[in-house]
Amino acid sequence: MEVTFWGVRGSIPAPGPGTIRYGGNTSCVSVRTAENALLILDCGTGARNLGLALLAEDSPDRFASGGGEAAILLSHAHWDHIQGFPFFGPLYVPGNTFWIYGPAESSALLEGILEGQMAPQYFPVQTLKNMGARIDIAAMTAGQPREILGCVVKTALNPHGRAGAMAFRIEQGERSVVYASDAGYGPGGPAPDVLALYRGADLLIHDSTYTPADRLRYPERGLASVVEAAAAAIRAGVRKLALFHYDQDYSDTDVDALVEHARREIGAAGATSIEVCGAAEGSTLTV
Amino acid sequence: MRVRFWGVRGSVPVPGDKTERYGGNTSCVEVTSASGTRIIVDAGTGIRRLGKDLMRDESESGKEVAHLLISHTHWDHIQGLPFFAPLYQSGNHLYVYARRRDDLHLRTVFTSQTGDPYFPTSIEEAKAQISFRELADSARFEIADVQVACTRLNHPYVATAYRLSVDGASVAYVSDTAPFSDILFENEFIARPPMTLRPLPEVDRAKLGLMRDGVVRLCEGADLVIYDTMFTPQDYQKFPHYGHSRPRDAIDVCREAGANRLILFHHAPERSDAEVDSILADARVEASRLRAPFTLDAAYEGMEIELGKPRTESSPPTQRRLG
Repeated sequence: MEVTFWGVRGSIPAPGPGTIRYGGNTSCVSVRTAENALLILDCGTGARNLGLALLAEDSPDRFASGGGEAAILLSHAHWDHIQGFPFFGPLYVPGNTFWIYGPAESSALLEGILEGQMAPQYFPVQTLKNMGARIDIAAMTAGQPREILGCVVKTALNPHGRAGAMAFRIEQGERSVVYASDAGYGPGGPAPDVLALYRGADLLIHDSTYTPADRLRYPERGLASVVEAAAAAIRAGVRKLALFHYDQDYSDTDVDALVEHARREIGAAGATSIEVCGAAEGSTLTV
Repeated sequence: MRVRFWGVRGSVPVPGDKTERYGGNTSCVEVTSASGTRIIVDAGTGIRRLGKDLMRDESESGKEVAHLLISHTHWDHIQGLPFFAPLYQSGNHLYVYARRRDDLHLRTVFTSQTGDPYFPTSIEEAKAQISFRELADSARFEIADVQVACTRLNHPYVATAYRLSVDGASVAYVSDTAPFSDILFENEFIARPPMTLRPLPEVDRAKLGLMRDGVVRLCEGADLVIYDTMFTPQDYQKFPHYGHSRPRDAIDVCREAGANRLILFHHAPERSDAEVDSILADARVEASRLRAPFTLDAAYEGMEIELGKPRTESSPPTQRRLG
C-alpha cells in the first residue's frame, strides 16, 4: 500500500513561511492499495491538492473523465477533517463514485452533517446534490469491520469532543495501516479495543498535536501529545509511527523537535525496531 | 487610519511555498482609526493571526471592543472566527455586523458554525460578549468616530460592500462581487454559465445598473478601494456564474468613482506568487492605457497602509487595544 499525506495539520490551515516543509493544510491522507483501490482518510484542506492530483491528465484513476471511484473515511466532523470536501475537485465530475463512511448514529445523520457544510449561507454550491458525482453515505459503528474496495476496514472510537473520533485500520492481505487522529486518551492511554486496533500495524499514523507541556495546558481539547503517540506505538508493537495533526502554531522547527522527542521516547523504551517519522505534506510511505 | 491585511485569499486557504509572498490565508482586513477604533472586515483564516497579535499585551486584557463587518457568510469570510483568541477572554466585546436576511438570523449562522458536531466550543459559550447587528442593504451608521456606508453586491446569496471614513480618509471594501453585466445573482444556485448571446431581461439589467451605481458611489473619491479581482478574463469566460470580478471591472469602477488607489484582493487559491505578480503587471498596463489616474497594487498578507490623519503619540497604541 502507498500512503500519501496531503494535509497533516490540526484545527485550522496554517499558511506561512514557518510551515513550508511539513505543510499547513488540515488532515487528509490517501491510501492506494496494491489493486489500485483508493481510500481517503479525512477531508481537511489537503483534499484540495489530492483532488488536483487525481484530475491531472497522467492520473490512472479516470477521475477526470468520470470513471473514478474512491472511499472517503471520516474520523469525525470537526472542521479540520471535513473542510476540504467542498474543494475536492473529483466530486464535481459526474460519473465518479464516492463511498463515504464515518461515525454517526445513522447514515441520514452523517449526510445531514455533510449537507450542513454545503448550505447556501456557507457555500455557493448549496447542497451535495449539486456536486455531480455519485455520493453514497454510510454510517459506521465502532467495532464492526466492513469490506471496502477490497480491503477490510476495522474501527474503534477514541475520546475526542462530544462524539469521539473514529480510528481506522485498513488491512489488505498481510499489510495494515492505522489512522488515529484526534486521540484524547485518558491517563491510561488507549482503551483495550483501540490498542487491539493498533496492534502490530505496519504503519500507525497517530495524533501528535502537542508537546507534553502544551498537552497539559489544553487538557480539554482531547488531542494527544507526542509522548502519548510514542507510548501507543510501543504498547501496540507497530513497525512504523508517523506523527500527525500538528498544532497550527507549530513551525517546521517545532515539528522537527516533536520527531526527535518521539525517537528519544522509543529509544528509552528499548523499542528501537519502531521507525519514527513526521508526516509531511506531499510525502509518500510504502507499506 | 491604518489598514492592515491579514488574509487576501479567496475560496480556501492555500498554505505552501507557492503562496509565501502574497500569503495563503482567506479574507481579513483590519482598519483602525487614529483614536483607536478597531474595525475588522471579514473573518477568514487571516483573523487568527490578528487575534494573536491583539492578545500579545496582557496588561490591557479584557477591556476592549472590536467591530467585525462581514461581507457575506461564505466560508472564506467567516472560517477564522472560532480561532480569534480575544473571543475567549472575558471582558472583551465583539460586535458582528452583516446584511439582514429574511430566511436566516445572523446569530444562527455563527452558532451553527461553532456548534456540535463541527466545533468543540459554541460561540455562545465564548467568554467575550458578542452582539449581532443586522444591516439593511444601504445602511449608513457610525461606529465611534468611523462613518460606515453599505451597498449590496452581485454575488451568490448576496454580499455587502462597506466604506469606512475617518481621520479625513476613506477606504472601500468591495468583495465578493461579479461584474454587473451578465448575471444577476440572488439566492438561487446557478449550475452553468448562461447562453452568452441571450440578453438579460430588462428588469435584471435595471437592477444591476442600480447596483453598480451604488458601488461607484460607495467608492467615490475613496483613498483606497479593496476589490475582489479573483478572476482573469479567461476564468470569467468559463465561470461567469461564480460571482467574481476581473481587474478590469475594478479599474472601471475606480475610474468612474475617482478613487485614488486600487488594491487587487481575494486572489484565487490556485494563483502562485508569480502569477499574482503578472496579473498585477497586466492590470497596471491596462490602467495606464486607460489613463486611470490612480495607484494599483495587489494585496499581500502583512501589507499596511496609512491614510489621512496619522496616529499621534497621545493616541492609544491601537495594535494593543483588544485582548
